Amino acid sequence: MEVNGQLALTVLMGILLVAVAAWIARVENWRSYSPIAGGGGYGQQDSYVSEEKPSGIIRWLTTVDHKDIGILYGAYGLTAFTVGGLMVVLMRVELFDPGMSLISNTFYNSLLTSHGITMLFLFGTPILAAFSNYLVPLLIGADDMAFPRINAIAFWLLPPAALLIWAGFFPLPDVLPAQTAWTMYTPLSAGVGAGNQANAGVDLMLLGLHLSGVSATMGAINFIATIFTERGDEVSWANLDIFSWTILTQSGLILFAFPLLGSALVMLLFDRNFGTTFFSGEGGAILWQHLFWFFGHPEVYILVLPPMGIVSYVIPRFSGRRLFGFKFVVYSTLAIGVLSFGVWAHHMFATGIDPRLRASFMAVSLAIAIPSAVKTFNWITTMWNGRIRLTTPMLFSVGFVANFIIGGVTGVFLASIPVDLVLHDTYYVVGHFHYVIMGAIGFAVFSGLYYWFPLYTDRMYQKTLAKAHFWLTMVGTNLTFFAMILLGYGGMPRRYATYLPQFATMHQLATVGALLLLAGQVIFVWNFVQSWLEGPKVEDGDPWNLRESGLYTAEWDWYDKKQQTAIADGGEESDETALTDGGQPEGDADDRDDA
Amino acid sequence: MDAEPGLSEQYRMASPWPLFIALGVPIAELGILFGLFPLSVGGLLLFGGSVAGMATESSYARTPWRAMVVVAIPLAALGLGFIYTSINLPDRGFAIIAAAVILVAGGLAGSLFAQDTEEPTY
Amino acid sequence: MANKIFDRDTLLDLTVNMVPLFIMAFFIVAFAVVTPFGVDPLASSLQFGLVAVPFVLLAILTYFAGRAVAGSEMTGELYLPGQAGVEGAKPLGEDGELMNQFDEDEEPEAAVEGEADTDDAASEDEA
Ligand code: HEM
Ligand SMILES: [Cu+2]
Repeated sequence: MEVNGQLALTVLMGILLVAVAAWIARVENWRSYSPIAGGGGYGQQDSYVSEEKPSGIIRWLTTVDHKDIGILYGAYGLTAFTVGGLMVVLMRVELFDPGMSLISNTFYNSLLTSHGITMLFLFGTPILAAFSNYLVPLLIGADDMAFPRINAIAFWLLPPAALLIWAGFFPLPDVLPAQTAWTMYTPLSAGVGAGNQANAGVDLMLLGLHLSGVSATMGAINFIATIFTERGDEVSWANLDIFSWTILTQSGLILFAFPLLGSALVMLLFDRNFGTTFFSGEGGAILWQHLFWFFGHPEVYILVLPPMGIVSYVIPRFSGRRLFGFKFVVYSTLAIGVLSFGVWAHHMFATGIDPRLRASFMAVSLAIAIPSAVKTFNWITTMWNGRIRLTTPMLFSVGFVANFIIGGVTGVFLASIPVDLVLHDTYYVVGHFHYVIMGAIGFAVFSGLYYWFPLYTDRMYQKTLAKAHFWLTMVGTNLTFFAMILLGYGGMPRRYATYLPQFATMHQLATVGALLLLAGQVIFVWNFVQSWLEGPKVEDGDPWNLRESGLYTAEWDWYDKKQQTAIADGGEESDETALTDGGQPEGDADDRDDA
Repeated sequence: MDAEPGLSEQYRMASPWPLFIALGVPIAELGILFGLFPLSVGGLLLFGGSVAGMATESSYARTPWRAMVVVAIPLAALGLGFIYTSINLPDRGFAIIAAAVILVAGGLAGSLFAQDTEEPTY
Repeated sequence: MANKIFDRDTLLDLTVNMVPLFIMAFFIVAFAVVTPFGVDPLASSLQFGLVAVPFVLLAILTYFAGRAVAGSEMTGELYLPGQAGVEGAKPLGEDGELMNQFDEDEEPEAAVEGEADTDDAASEDEA
């Protein structure tokens, strides 16, 4: 039996290796026949052209072009967003009434764990990499990333990571989904005790997380190298745009934070499988929390800095003026980067660590609130008396600022030890970080997706649908998460599938909010896919009329040139239009509210 | 930015190797974690072979054969570490060393018998 | 030499990081003065270290970032952020003020752009 299994695996593995070898031989062969003849001369467009060839999919599997990889990251991130979102819809529906009705408590716990990990590691980090891969080389005038192949490796580590993280939900014998919550606190996650957390599903999830960390680290090294060494001649440090600054800082954070998570995960895997006792001995549980949060708090800034960059980039374009206090934003980004490593134990105020240490972590947590607040003031001042155009990207950016204020202020309260001791492990914390993660980070992602939509699709989205998406998302977010803040004040603990009847109203409001969010995202997906396939073609290299206000930037300049090359090249262009649904060439500058 | 946007598209923008490097890692990790010898060896071979292929493609190495031997060295060291240090997981160590040995063998065989450097690694 | 780079403007830009530095300095002093939990060699030195280390690191990073940015301001041409690579973009003037941003004559497609703009505006039926 044992031996048969091994034999079967060996045969399978052998077949896989031979298949890979054969496939590579074919691909290499094919390429020597038509050496990247695909698109001729202009970037992204050859992807469409290649759809007519049998090599269409091969293009995506083998690409090392930063723009293609950016699109792959984007597709991946949005897929993960869908999965994580549907998981939480199930949970919210379960929470519509106090008892256990729709799903079992254990399944709720599994969804809870997977939702958190999916959103943070499979949606959050990758979707930001989508923007940075596509845009940073264009913005800094680089031909590509410093290491294009490493870039591709970093992406391709992610699909296996997702499969491993979700493996518990697949119908595999003896594999259960993890129920450790995203923080994976020991001893539960070490498989100790009477529960079922010793099962292989947890190991698979830890492996998947480890892979996603390797991927993020490789990406970060690449961005640091790119921004340091590949900048165009004109792009000095003083001329570097704000988005690239935030990506640079984020990469620095990743470089210090993720390898630590990786080591901690390996230690945990050893504890689980090979009988070590890193986290089960005296002080082991606290050790895990220290290691986890030394990664975990920087991780939240890893997630929020690039969105801040996007918002700092978008708001001035639709306010008709430059970013107020640009250098304040740059330096405060760097400050956040450093200080984020000095606050981790504000997640551990209630663990009984030494009160003197607690005080220090409170001090640094209060200090780190300043750079964030400074940025908020800069965004508001940029809009003040500006020529505001309430396009969809702008709406999402303004929504970011509004939600970030609530998320940030609740965070500062939590950073105060006495307040935290009351609110820790309640829904208040859930409300806090969702205001930041959904209300701010999610909004900035949407802002960016809409703002650069013409850049990567050559088309314009449907603005009415986009507005509907915004308003449903804005109302849904605030309904859901404000209800959670109130629940927290009422003392509702987090991470439970059932609750006391007194909390029912607020929970029901939160569920209604979540359903509004769902409706909004359905509209988004429809708009996104349909417009990408059939939306009106953008032929203007300046779809947002930025030249008028002198706020035109490098990525649109690149796009403009690409457009002109496309028009000059008649042959390829006809291929292109054949794919469109007779869409009227039309530039759509979204609507403009300049009174 | 480029004066001509087409320019940057002219160097080779596709490579078959990254996908398989990325696939080799999780397979090997799974094999090593759960003690599945074939997965460990196969995953590492996939990883090592693809690294060698990629090194050749990006002209860090002239032929993949020598590169395979070079990749085998750290693997062998890792395997020895699994066996002889306090990690003390000899089964896993042997799997890693097996992969290293196969890589070396492949490298030797390749440099002896395959004269045509245009051939793919395997 | 440092004074040249760290002129008034740069120092003003850096005040943004002085505030968190000041907050941390305040707590360092406060912890020295008020010790409600007593003094313990290990715990107290960790207590100071946990604020002092971020303080020092932030000070160092701020210094180097300021030097890199202000230094390249002095040696190279200045553009609006994100605009350095744009063809035909005009550098900022001495005082950082925007000079005539796009020279219309140098933009061959300027007229076409203008047309496109009006088209866009016309297609705005909603709103
Ligand atoms: C800027 C983006 C931010 C993000 C993405 C974020 C995210 C999070 C997350 C995910 C948690 C919950 C962790 C868990 O227990 O599962 C959390 C908790 C916390 N956050 Fe934030 N946060 C942000 C900003 C802030 C700020 C500015 C502060 C205060 C200076 C802050 C203070 C706290 C504190 C003290 C907790 C712990 C609460 C507790 O567990 O009792 N956060 N945050
Ligand atoms: Cu934190």
